[in-house]
Amino acid sequence: MKIDLKRNCPFNSDNVPNGDVVLSSRARLARNLEGFPFVNRATASDCAEVASLLQKISNTKDKRSALEWVNMDELDTVTTELFVERHLISSNLSNATHPRAIAVGPELSRSVMVNEEDHIRIQSIRPGLQLHEVHADVHQLDMEVEEIISYAFDSQLGFLTACPTNVGTGARFSAMLHLPGLRIIKDLQRIHNACNDMSLAIRGFRGEGSGTIADLFQVSNQVTLGSTEEELCNLLANDFLPPVLEWERKARRVIAEKQRSKLEDQTFRSLGLLQNARLLTSEEAMKCLGNIRLGVCLNVIDNITLPQINQLMIELHPAHLRYTFGKDLPDDEVNRCRATLIRNIVDS
Amino acid sequence: MPSCDHCNQPAIYHDVRIVNGVHNTTHLCVEHAYEAGVDVGPVDFASLLRPEESSSAPKSTVTACPDCGMTIAQYKKTSLLGCPACYVTFQDNLINIIAKVQDKHTQHVGRSPSQTNVDADRHIQIRRLLRKLESAVNQEQYEDAAALRDELRELHNSSEQHED
Ligand SMILES: [Zn+2]
Ligand SMILES: [Zn+2]
Repeated sequence: MKIDLKRNCPFNSDNVPNGDVVLSSRARLARNLEGFPFVNRATASDCAEVASLLQKISNTKDKRSALEWVNMDELDTVTTELFVERHLISSNLSNATHPRAIAVGPELSRSVMVNEEDHIRIQSIRPGLQLHEVHADVHQLDMEVEEIISYAFDSQLGFLTACPTNVGTGARFSAMLHLPGLRIIKDLQRIHNACNDMSLAIRGFRGEGSGTIADLFQVSNQVTLGSTEEELCNLLANDFLPPVLEWERKARRVIAEKQRSKLEDQTFRSLGLLQNARLLTSEEAMKCLGNIRLGVCLNVIDNITLPQINQLMIELHPAHLRYTFGKDLPDDEVNRCRATLIRNIVDS
Repeated sequence: MPSCDHCNQPAIYHDVRIVNGVHNTTHLCVEHAYEAGVDVGPVDFASLLRPEESSSAPKSTVTACPDCGMTIAQYKKTSLLGCPACYVTFQDNLINIIAKVQDKHTQHVGRSPSQTNVDADRHIQIRRLLRKLESAVNQEQYEDAAALRDELRELHNSSEQHED
């Protein structure tokens, strides 16, 4: 399939609600087909049969929003990894050899993974705080899938999944948060406590090393049973996030007021590094972009916009660089291309 | 109980991935799970499954799921069930596990599939009958096999009418 990184990037959008704190919102529904063993006990022919039943999902009437069906075996390595970097498929699905597929929207934000841990993983990801919108996306796909197959469902336990941690709604809502303010004023414990109280899982965005990169955190619901999809979505979107957004913004205002020189120094130092570096690791680039992001939100600089930063945070990954600079790009050239890509944006 | 892949601490995180057709199992202790950035959750799966703590549960370690052949011992290794019927087969063991991982919830309150799909249901029925037929023939139960064949024929006929 043909992918235009500029046109297909949902993050290069001017519509980024609450984008100062929320990078992206994601919804995922886990489903399985009645009458088939789950993927971990399925034979290759079971998996092939499940895939062939689901292939009809790409035949919707509206051609502009129709999902494109891709058998994973027919996808080249760079595009496969690009899908992993966009969280459209898991690295699990990319490494396996049993028959598996992905149906993906032209905008690369909606996808249906076939034969991952569950037969079906319906997913949508959008920039900024758009949890209700991604929920609407996956719900619509859920209805379309339901028309062509029968779901494994139990009146007590709901939608049946390979792992009991997903049973019930099979729904996982998550938001990627940028929390430099709370880290700087040393108040991240507050977020951890709030997550604990609300049965939410929080994890830092990690690179090769240890420690959280660029103050990015992903928060998601842990429980999938005993609440409706809407209630789970509301837990994150209406109960958890509004106070968190306020805490982070308040922390940033305090920093802008009381630690102005430090903030300016950190922002311009990171900008200078990205403007001049000729080799950049993804970890260093992410760290600098995170610092610049805070500076942009607090009006320290206006060389770059939030959508541009968000897009760079995706495009700096190796498969994205190979997609842009050539699929055969050797490993030792990746850091040079990353520096070039970023310099072109922050210099202009 | 398995110990952590990276040290001798007891593992609290267990993960199974199918990579190139083989199961790769990962066991991690609290510290290494945290270091690996995995979502450990509030639950200690392993302690739920330790035999001395589940003595009140029925002896189902030898029971295999009639649909997929999964045993509770195999489930303990992977934390993944084999098929929808496993939820019925291992109901007594699973309900406690589900209550723990799901914050004490054991009843679904979300939506149900709105309508069952006639074609999909027929497909499932045919698969089930074929599987029963195969085992009837293997066990030389020819009377059962003949009855199953009649049932299959009827299903095929009704699907042809349906397509008209
Ligand atoms: Zn360890
Ligand atoms: Zn089973």
